[in-house]
Amino acid sequence: MSAVSPATKPVSPPTKPVTLERRSLLGAIRPSRAILNIVLVASAVFWLVPTIGLAIISLRPESLFQQSGWWTALTAPAQLTLSNYQTLFSQGLVTGGVLDSLITSLEITVPATLLVTIISSLTAYSLVFGRWPGRSVVFLVIVGLLVVPIQVALIPVVQEYRAFGSLTGFNPFGTIPGVVIFHVAFGLPFGIFLMYNFYSGIPKEMLEAGRIDGAGEWQLFRRVALPLGLPAAASLMIFQFIWVWNDLLVALIFLGSNPHYTLTIFLFNQTRTLAANYWIISTGAMISIFIPLIVFFSFQRYFVRGVLAGAVK
Amino acid sequence: MASVTFDHVVKRYTSDLTVVKDFNVEVADKEFMVLVGPSGCGKSTALRMLAGLESISEGQIRIGDRVINNIAAKDRDIAMVFQSYALYPHMSVYDNMAFPLQMQHMKKAEIDKRVKAASSSLGLGNFLDRKPRALSGGQRQRVALGRAIVRNPQVFLLDEPLSNLDAKLRAQTRIELQKLHRDLGTTFIYVTHDQVEAMTMGDRIAIMNAGILQQVGTPGDIYDHPANIFVAGFVGTPTMNFVAATVQDGVAKASGFQVKLPKALAAAKGTLGFRPEAVTDRITDPDSAMEMKVDVVERLGSDQFLYGKVGGDSVTARVDPRIKVEPGDSIKLGLDTRTLHFFDSETELALL
Amino acid sequence: MAEIGTEATPRARRRAAAVNEGGNPGGGWRDHLGSLAFLAPGAIFLLAITVYPLVATARNSFYDATATNYVGLGNYQEIFSTSSILVTFRNNVIWVLVFPFLVTFIGLVYGVLSERIRWSTAFKTIIFMPIVFSATASALVWRTIFDLDPHIGIVNAAIQTASDWVSPPGLYPVDTSSGQTVAGLAATGVSSAPKDSLESSSTVTAGNSIELGLIGVSPATLQLTGSQTAVVPTQSPGAVTGLVWRDFSPTNPTAKGQVLPDELGFAGLKLTLLRSDGSSAGTAVTDAHGDFLFGGVGSGDYKVQIDPGNFSSGFTGVFWLGAQSLTPTSSLNQTAQALLSVPLVDISMILAYLWIWAGFAMVVIGAGLASLDREVLEAARLDGAGEWQTFRRMTMPMLAPVLIVVIVTMLINVLKIFDIILNMAPGSSQGEANTLALAMYNFGFTGLGNWGLASALAVILFILVIPAIVLNLRRIRG
Repeated sequence: MSAVSPATKPVSPPTKPVTLERRSLLGAIRPSRAILNIVLVASAVFWLVPTIGLAIISLRPESLFQQSGWWTALTAPAQLTLSNYQTLFSQGLVTGGVLDSLITSLEITVPATLLVTIISSLTAYSLVFGRWPGRSVVFLVIVGLLVVPIQVALIPVVQEYRAFGSLTGFNPFGTIPGVVIFHVAFGLPFGIFLMYNFYSGIPKEMLEAGRIDGAGEWQLFRRVALPLGLPAAASLMIFQFIWVWNDLLVALIFLGSNPHYTLTIFLFNQTRTLAANYWIISTGAMISIFIPLIVFFSFQRYFVRGVLAGAVK
Repeated sequence: MASVTFDHVVKRYTSDLTVVKDFNVEVADKEFMVLVGPSGCGKSTALRMLAGLESISEGQIRIGDRVINNIAAKDRDIAMVFQSYALYPHMSVYDNMAFPLQMQHMKKAEIDKRVKAASSSLGLGNFLDRKPRALSGGQRQRVALGRAIVRNPQVFLLDEPLSNLDAKLRAQTRIELQKLHRDLGTTFIYVTHDQVEAMTMGDRIAIMNAGILQQVGTPGDIYDHPANIFVAGFVGTPTMNFVAATVQDGVAKASGFQVKLPKALAAAKGTLGFRPEAVTDRITDPDSAMEMKVDVVERLGSDQFLYGKVGGDSVTARVDPRIKVEPGDSIKLGLDTRTLHFFDSETELALL
Repeated sequence: MAEIGTEATPRARRRAAAVNEGGNPGGGWRDHLGSLAFLAPGAIFLLAITVYPLVATARNSFYDATATNYVGLGNYQEIFSTSSILVTFRNNVIWVLVFPFLVTFIGLVYGVLSERIRWSTAFKTIIFMPIVFSATASALVWRTIFDLDPHIGIVNAAIQTASDWVSPPGLYPVDTSSGQTVAGLAATGVSSAPKDSLESSSTVTAGNSIELGLIGVSPATLQLTGSQTAVVPTQSPGAVTGLVWRDFSPTNPTAKGQVLPDELGFAGLKLTLLRSDGSSAGTAVTDAHGDFLFGGVGSGDYKVQIDPGNFSSGFTGVFWLGAQSLTPTSSLNQTAQALLSVPLVDISMILAYLWIWAGFAMVVIGAGLASLDREVLEAARLDGAGEWQTFRRMTMPMLAPVLIVVIVTMLINVLKIFDIILNMAPGSSQGEANTLALAMYNFGFTGLGNWGLASALAVILFILVIPAIVLNLRRIRG
């Protein structure tokens, strides 16, 4: 005999539960909740201390710096002041000053980022959707170039710049374009890799339909691949921006004796002076951190995606 | 005793999301019970509660006489075959099957014996060293089965094990699973959304919808005596015909035909239900004969199904495959009144 | 176009084959022109700035400092025989052995633990954030943290607070780093005693007094401790009294041994009365005039000890950024020292670098953890695996590929390490903290100007990176 249960009017099937149980299936060692939180809070505090310390140092006058540690300001916040920032900014755009260095950094970072993204997209497009032989070999070469250290290129590029200078009269060494060119070249392997992986996920049929309709390669690139590739391009731009903004070595070498500095060079120079200048160092460092922080917090998701793409295939 | 009892079991995620509502089923020892229903009906959740992978919000689950609500999954003496098989990707077939026994701290010799026995009965003897990624879908499924078999559990749980297989392999494996059940003599609880699997494999079927148990019974019971419209429409292919009808003086009147009801009903209107095989080209009762305007004809060699309109209602009929019918024809069909169903606002079965 | 079902002519078949292989019928190179043109900008950059220079650097490494004269393997010979350059290899080895595994471990721990808390996004953001800063800025931040002066560096400040609480510094600390000793304070009737204490040269009995003269402490210090003019002690029966004073008169510098009116007493000195067997008969503290009194003293000869605690300087700071070696290599020859020392500054820099990169490891491993097949872990649970067993035998092996990626990425990163060394190690430690990349920069672009040597260093760096290139290629191919 069948058991019958009263059936009510069928309700539409419930959707998958939004909050599943917080059952950890990772099977790691299970400390108690309290200990776990203590450990992680302590870690978080430890991680924040350096940045907060730097911020507070930059908000204290230099005289206080030698007398007492920045942590004393936590109990005496009245001593905090913006005078350091005011001093630096009041210098205005004096060459070699903070604001001038900020602008120089921008002048290098923005073009480098844009160029890398555009050229990477073009190259990746050709590698994925082109039909010429030898594509896979070229891609492997680019993958090989991913970890090549810039040290192997520094001296010869200086030599090349010189040669170029004697040929055309413009020696990129010591100029901003000289720095940008180098950054673009060494940003390309990663950029191409990132865009290649993304474009590989686009079904070839999309472009084939376009080809049948008579579109040329440039149109296909501009109107299909590029818009579809925007998320990956965004990740690349942000990753590249922060990378170039924070660079020291390339700018140090290729700006040569240029009176304009990047922010990183500006900071580096401060460590070479013998004067007690932590107020400049801390304030300058805070200013140099400011822009990447904004980029990071605005585009966190894209930045993390870029980082992950570099690490995991 | 490896009977399984769900006693007023409820699963609630948040106050307004209850996935399993007052579930009551008794599975007898050694029985092959199938939980079937559409996606999201709660069948997998019920299974997982039994396995110990979900907590039980209300009610009790018992294996034999033992209440297992608060017993850890590994101590319930239950083995489960997952829909995706969930094989350990970094271990060989041998290690996959040996793992649960290692967790029980069984001696190596004993483990080896059991693994070899299970793998040879499943035809995996030559694959013991392979890793899962080097196996076909069917082979992987057998490894998953083997992993469960070596444990000699009291209850076997299977969560849609055939859905990842192609049609031919599916039919084959269906038979093998039934044989396995016979050989092992263990209680099997099997979850699927496919009513064909349910009908062919289960000793009994429990049909669920939206978290509520609709009916429990043998396949025959479910097919011949569906408790409500949902069960009636869920089991059987093609689906049962449902036609709105009014009742007057013991006669049910639909828009295109009428039929005398075998017994008196309290309702004045409702839904008439009859399976396609009840509508044939043989007219035994001229009073309930109907005229169909045929839309689509399906010839399957052994069967012929006509889809068309009777009056204002859509009806499916199963006629003799030798009859020549074309779309657009009108054909006179007869209704077998012995297998008639009547449903009143989906709650009641009033006939047969 | 051939129709479906009609026989394809040999020509049509060839056309179809061409289309399948990616060519257009009737095309050839003309079609590829479009997509090849896309390749041009990237190719120009890469060939000019990466590929050709690679070859050029290899060539330069066999030439001299101005890259004009051939010197064969001379540069390489110089590298491996100069201890100051061998130091870079040693440092790179330290970084490579320590950092990638530590950072991966920390990333793993944080990746696993942060899954279980509600505020995991906030936590991950905090740990990840330092990646966004330049290594230069981070180096400067950590340089402050590790500063020697406890008034500046928070690490030394924290240690000082703990140390002062456990063993507080004395009122009259002796600065051993500038050559001062406790024994040097003894002037009149005082001799040095074991454990950095002072004691009276002669003995004293109950009812008598004793005068102990010290020098070597400035009036400014005495003012700070509240010391006033020394007062000659009065005797007291049954007690030992005395005076500890500064035996130096500004008006009469040569007069010693007497208590002059303009001489100051030592306030707040902790004293112990010692019996002849060395046991303590009582303690006392000098008053503002330097006078003290031990009451209830029995018969016998006693000495007065000025406790060593008075002179302990407490914690003055560890030079975390210094080049002192953690391994005992001071007695070894130069080359051995270069290769075997482990400078403290390396450890500090590694710590700073961990702060920067642990977030990266955590995020990548976190992504790996999230991609693990939940059902596999459930199956393990059902099969009887406990928490630890699941972690050890399921999670870790399945996570292994991700862990390897993190380790290798960090390894490459660390081989090229530059910014943090340059900015965090103070000038005095730069030599001992040197790395390959930094040495290459120094030789190539600073006053040292030796392009041949710098190129050779770059070649070595490249060779070290080759295994990673091979690994990457394998990963992409397979």
